[in-house]
Amino acid sequence: MPVRVVENSTPSHASGVNPECALPPACSLLSVGQAFAGTQNVSSVQKDEAWRVNVKIQGCDLDHGYLCGTMEALNVPLADTPVVTFWEGEIVDIKNYTFFTKKWEATSETDVRHWSKFPSFSPLLSQVEVDGGKSLDLSNYPYIFMRWKEQNFVNVGIDCGLTIAGFYYVCFSCTDGSINGFYYDPNSSPFQKLELKSKNGGGSGFRFSSYQLQ
Amino acid sequence: MPASAASNRPEDLIGRLSYAESGAKLKALREVKNQIIGNRTKKISYVKLGAVPRIVDILAASEDDAALLIQSAAALGSFACGVDAGVRAVLDSGAYPHLVRLLSNPDPKVVDAGARSLKMIFQSKLAPKYDLLKEKNMEFFLSLLNSENENVTELAASIITHSCETSTEQKALCDAMVLPRLICLLDGSLGQRDASLDSLATILKNNSEAVSKFVSLNNGRALRAVIELTKDRYPRTRLLACVCLIAIGIASPHHMQELEIKTKLIGILIKLLEEPGRAGDEAPFTLAQLIANKEDLQKLAFGVKAVERLCNFLQKAPLTPPAKRFEGILLALAELCSKLESCRSEFLSLQALNIVLTALKHDCAEVRIAACNCIKSISRSVKNLSAGRFTSETIVAPLVQLLYDPVTSVQVAALHAISNIVVDFTNHKLVFIQNGAVKQLVQLSKSMDSKLRLNAVWALRNLAFLADRIRKDSILQELTISTLASLIYDPEPPIQEQSLALVCNLVDGGVDSIEHVFLEDGVIINAVAKQVWRATTTEVCIQGMYVFSNIATGNELHKEAVMHHLLPQAGGFTQSVIIRFLQGTESQLRTAAVWCIINLTYPESPNVLDRVARLRQAGIISQIKNMVNDPCLDVKYRVRTALEQCTFGNCSISLYLLNGVHWFGFSLAIYWETTVLLLSSDALLSRCKLAMNTLVNLREMISFHVSLFFHMLQLVKALR
Repeated sequence: MPVRVVENSTPSHASGVNPECALPPACSLLSVGQAFAGTQNVSSVQKDEAWRVNVKIQGCDLDHGYLCGTMEALNVPLADTPVVTFWEGEIVDIKNYTFFTKKWEATSETDVRHWSKFPSFSPLLSQVEVDGGKSLDLSNYPYIFMRWKEQNFVNVGIDCGLTIAGFYYVCFSCTDGSINGFYYDPNSSPFQKLELKSKNGGGSGFRFSSYQLQ
Repeated sequence: MPASAASNRPEDLIGRLSYAESGAKLKALREVKNQIIGNRTKKISYVKLGAVPRIVDILAASEDDAALLIQSAAALGSFACGVDAGVRAVLDSGAYPHLVRLLSNPDPKVVDAGARSLKMIFQSKLAPKYDLLKEKNMEFFLSLLNSENENVTELAASIITHSCETSTEQKALCDAMVLPRLICLLDGSLGQRDASLDSLATILKNNSEAVSKFVSLNNGRALRAVIELTKDRYPRTRLLACVCLIAIGIASPHHMQELEIKTKLIGILIKLLEEPGRAGDEAPFTLAQLIANKEDLQKLAFGVKAVERLCNFLQKAPLTPPAKRFEGILLALAELCSKLESCRSEFLSLQALNIVLTALKHDCAEVRIAACNCIKSISRSVKNLSAGRFTSETIVAPLVQLLYDPVTSVQVAALHAISNIVVDFTNHKLVFIQNGAVKQLVQLSKSMDSKLRLNAVWALRNLAFLADRIRKDSILQELTISTLASLIYDPEPPIQEQSLALVCNLVDGGVDSIEHVFLEDGVIINAVAKQVWRATTTEVCIQGMYVFSNIATGNELHKEAVMHHLLPQAGGFTQSVIIRFLQGTESQLRTAAVWCIINLTYPESPNVLDRVARLRQAGIISQIKNMVNDPCLDVKYRVRTALEQCTFGNCSISLYLLNGVHWFGFSLAIYWETTVLLLSSDALLSRCKLAMNTLVNLREMISFHVSLFFHMLQLVKALR
């Protein structure tokens, strides 16, 4: 029973009347309690060297363009246990954050080079090159762009021989909940690719849990 | 002279108040007055000995003795100053009308004494309300306000502060040209200035009309004068000027848009904490009011190091009751940390949390509440929650202790803080179970007070978030199935919502967790269904649909139960509640409803085709077909997933039908035929009709075949 779906995925320019309304869409697959599983290619040359990765979303505050959670790397060489880190994310919502990072040793060229790795970014490229995407309205765009920065190790010490100095350029697809990312750290191998898929918790269907802060 | 000293004992003095001779009476009055001035204990003991009615008797009986009138009025004023028991005694003895009468006395000194005394009374909450809407009262009030006598004008201003409560009263005062007179008084004595600022804040509070009147007076000179007074030499004047400006800013934000003024106000209020006395005590409350719910102002405050400075004052503030200043600083910190992560991490880095934890055990209920509010704000930091920063015994134990507090509002405040700190991602939740928190939360969820019920269930809901099996079982064991059911049926919709969210969290965890809703003849799932069908608030419906959605991730029996509860039964409703939700205006409810369909039609479960057929029959599939362009992206893409699954469901079942090489070969043959030929294949049609008796019309048959066609195409590709 195929149904024709009318695509409306071209980004529009913000009218400029009320930029507060132009927040990216809320997506139930990117809410607290949701989990993702996949891999990270540590070296872009050797395709076989990949770590299995699990991600859990712990906090989400769209008003502040904030997302956070944990990332668990499973088969890390030289590590006895899976390595869990806590990360905080900036959602490129134009209100709080643009496509330009302006920190973490990333220049606007670095930004464009990494964002351009995502096919879904290409319609936005020309505008981002002009102003970091300040005049874009992403409220109806089926992809959510983010930067995830690991803040601390959760279960191992900083002397574990691993680094979290860099950060991820991340693209979340609202259509199927998949996540792609590229790790950027001037001192690590370039374009390490993160690929994650929405994990439904193992039952026959998608489960939801929630908390609400007072 | 020892004899005379002995006669100054309170009992003797009170006896002498009843002497006939006015000279002796006067002397006794003076003596009482001198003894009680500034001495709270003495005031209370004289009140207990019945001194006040005796003095009122003198006031009432001394028509033309100015000295007695003045002394008795002054003594009564002193009783009423700062001690509620004193005010009550003065009012109960009927002094009020006699004091008011003094205001019309020809002797200005008598008028002055009367005004002073009444001013004291009007500073107390116990004072009678002066009805400004009565024409005669307003006339008399205006005569007071326009008086030349300083104390009389101050009395008039106190009357405004005490009695003007409604917008009608504010308007009546504006119409009576009170504002220009108050502005004149800003140039008067210290007392007049302060009283005027206080009254102005009262008249302008939440009244944009009054504010625009005020701002336009004297070409804006009035507003400038108030701004100027924030720099006054006297701390109380500075504080009152701030209060007045904040009232203006809240009523009409556009008059206070200048960033500079706001930053200055924050700076002045923090600086006022250096002042001893009332101004310093009240300043943090005013600061809290100024920045409440205003992230921009909280940012400004952070910029002028408000967190650090308030924490410093917190360490210095006296802890002895009434500890007003301590409470105020805690409240200001709570507001400051309510939204901004930068403020929270600064607060935590300053080690101020230990002082707040001490405050949880303070004698004053207000301080305990303020400390809870502070922890509530700090624990909104997901980063620190994730690090398990609030699950140590030193934080949990005193908070849990407050769940037993005799004051309900303290219990509620503690529940707010606990609701946040139980959100814990590292499974430290055991600490709450060991501290007896769950037990008491369950007790409070059965309280008669709806606030306690709501917040107790809220805390349980957050505690159940991503909890493991043991934690979930211990919650449910303590709560019991029947209490949970009655919470779902609670008359208050917010409590229904939290209870359903609790159920949702409890059933998130596999087949075993789902079984809980079927215990005791399925009282929980029945309750959820009843609320979903009859609830009027969207939030309740959303949570209810997520409960069903989670149940639908279980086995075939679980999915079947969801179908049973959500589809209209024979003789019951004609339309499924799902359709109503899908057609609703709230996108989150539409999303929840579509998730439920996705889970019911999840591929590869045995009876999926049957469920798809029944959903189709109920009109649900055709409803979601209309939603492929839903304005909400989340809904739109979830609808797409649901539709894909319904299609795929058909195909997988068709493969059951086409089971065996013969049928498979036949299907491949069909693949090479045209669609027309395919449709004419009677054998296949009849078999499909047999199996899928709901697909009766030809159009749906075609769509089924087309999907089959593509499915085969994929199979062929895979075989190659």
